[in-house]
Amino acid sequence: MEDVLDEIVSSEDLQKFEKIFHEQLHQGNVTPKAQFEYAWCLVRSKYPTDIRKGILLLRELFNSHTEGKRDYLFYLAIGNARIKEYNKALHYVKSFLEIEPANQQVLALERQINKRMEKEGLIGMAVAGGAVLAIGGLVGLGIALASSKK
Amino acid sequence: MSRCDFKIVLLGSEHVGKTSLVIRFVNCRFNSGTPYQNTIGAAFCAKQMQSHDREFNVGIWDTAGSERYEAMTRMYYRGAHAAIICYDPASLASWTRLRHWLQELRTVEEDCKVYLCGTKKDLLDTGTVQREVPEDIIATYSQGLHGHFLTSSKTGENVDELFQKIVDDCVKDLKVMKIVEEARVQLQKEDNEKNKNYCYC
Ligand SMILES: Nc1nc2c(ncn2[C@@H]2O[C@H](COP(=O)(O)OP(=O)(O)O)[C@@H](O)[C@H]2O)c(=O)[nH]1
Ligand SMILES: [Mg+2]
Repeated sequence: MEDVLDEIVSSEDLQKFEKIFHEQLHQGNVTPKAQFEYAWCLVRSKYPTDIRKGILLLRELFNSHTEGKRDYLFYLAIGNARIKEYNKALHYVKSFLEIEPANQQVLALERQINKRMEKEGLIGMAVAGGAVLAIGGLVGLGIALASSKK
Repeated sequence: MSRCDFKIVLLGSEHVGKTSLVIRFVNCRFNSGTPYQNTIGAAFCAKQMQSHDREFNVGIWDTAGSERYEAMTRMYYRGAHAAIICYDPASLASWTRLRHWLQELRTVEEDCKVYLCGTKKDLLDTGTVQREVPEDIIATYSQGLHGHFLTSSKTGENVDELFQKIVDDCVKDLKVMKIVEEARVQLQKEDNEKNKNYCYC
């Protein structure tokens, strides 16, 4: 219980936002809103392929659209945690906490990720931690986020 | 084992005090020191409650009030047994938006019990802020709903009372209870088959 990582999107919702996204894609003009809503459904899907697609869309948004960076980081962490990419997920969590150290939602998410890693016997890997450095495109992410804050 | 029996959603404009209300109720505390944190999307928490000498798991979805999230937060209204629509008595704007929140809710979940909640009572009591929403208007408006509470997340006043009334009302509702009992039986069956426990709220 009490776990945002277990929540699953209904297929109607996923289809609804997928349709909007694809319509805009055909017209060659996807709004950040449509892309975010679709990605947000995707990372809450029960299928890892959907989640991966959602992560790609969120990363694209993160790099192109300043306004929602906080949201994108949060759902990037959730998406990665759901496909068991815990080190990546924790990296996003940490980037977020650098900006908002006391954010309750993100602190709760961090606890849940740690709990899962413990349960799956992965804590040792997190300590080894070198993998975190290998994530491309994340350098300066905290700085980008900080400068996007009003 | 630990699926939620009742689902409660919180609605209302940004900054009226939804998140503080949930934190007061679930964790019995108030964060006055930390700067304002705009809720991202929707946040879930749960609490065990008693009513009519029985235990119930109550799942609470706190939603973001910003328009950015509207299409998404609507998904969380689905299946809600009760909704708390919050407004700030010192902000006429938050009250004017109330009709909008009620409509949003009704398009998704018609049968949901609706409670109005005026927040930040401590600020009214100490005269820190002035009431902008007349009490008689609130009284008229809440007649068609399930209740109205004036709460303070800072002092805790009326917070437990609000949630207790909701759960009591749900337990008295035979239609709701029939579904709750069926879900429990179903969950028991699933639990016996596999030893997993998820919350489907
Ligand atoms: N004094 C006082 N401040 C409150 C109360 N409830 C919320 N606040 C403050 O109002 C602001 C918005 O609260 P929050 O719960 O985040 O609002 P939300 O956007 O509706 O979730 C925060 O700065 C809170 O500290 C209350 O009962 N009393
Ligand atoms: Mg909030």
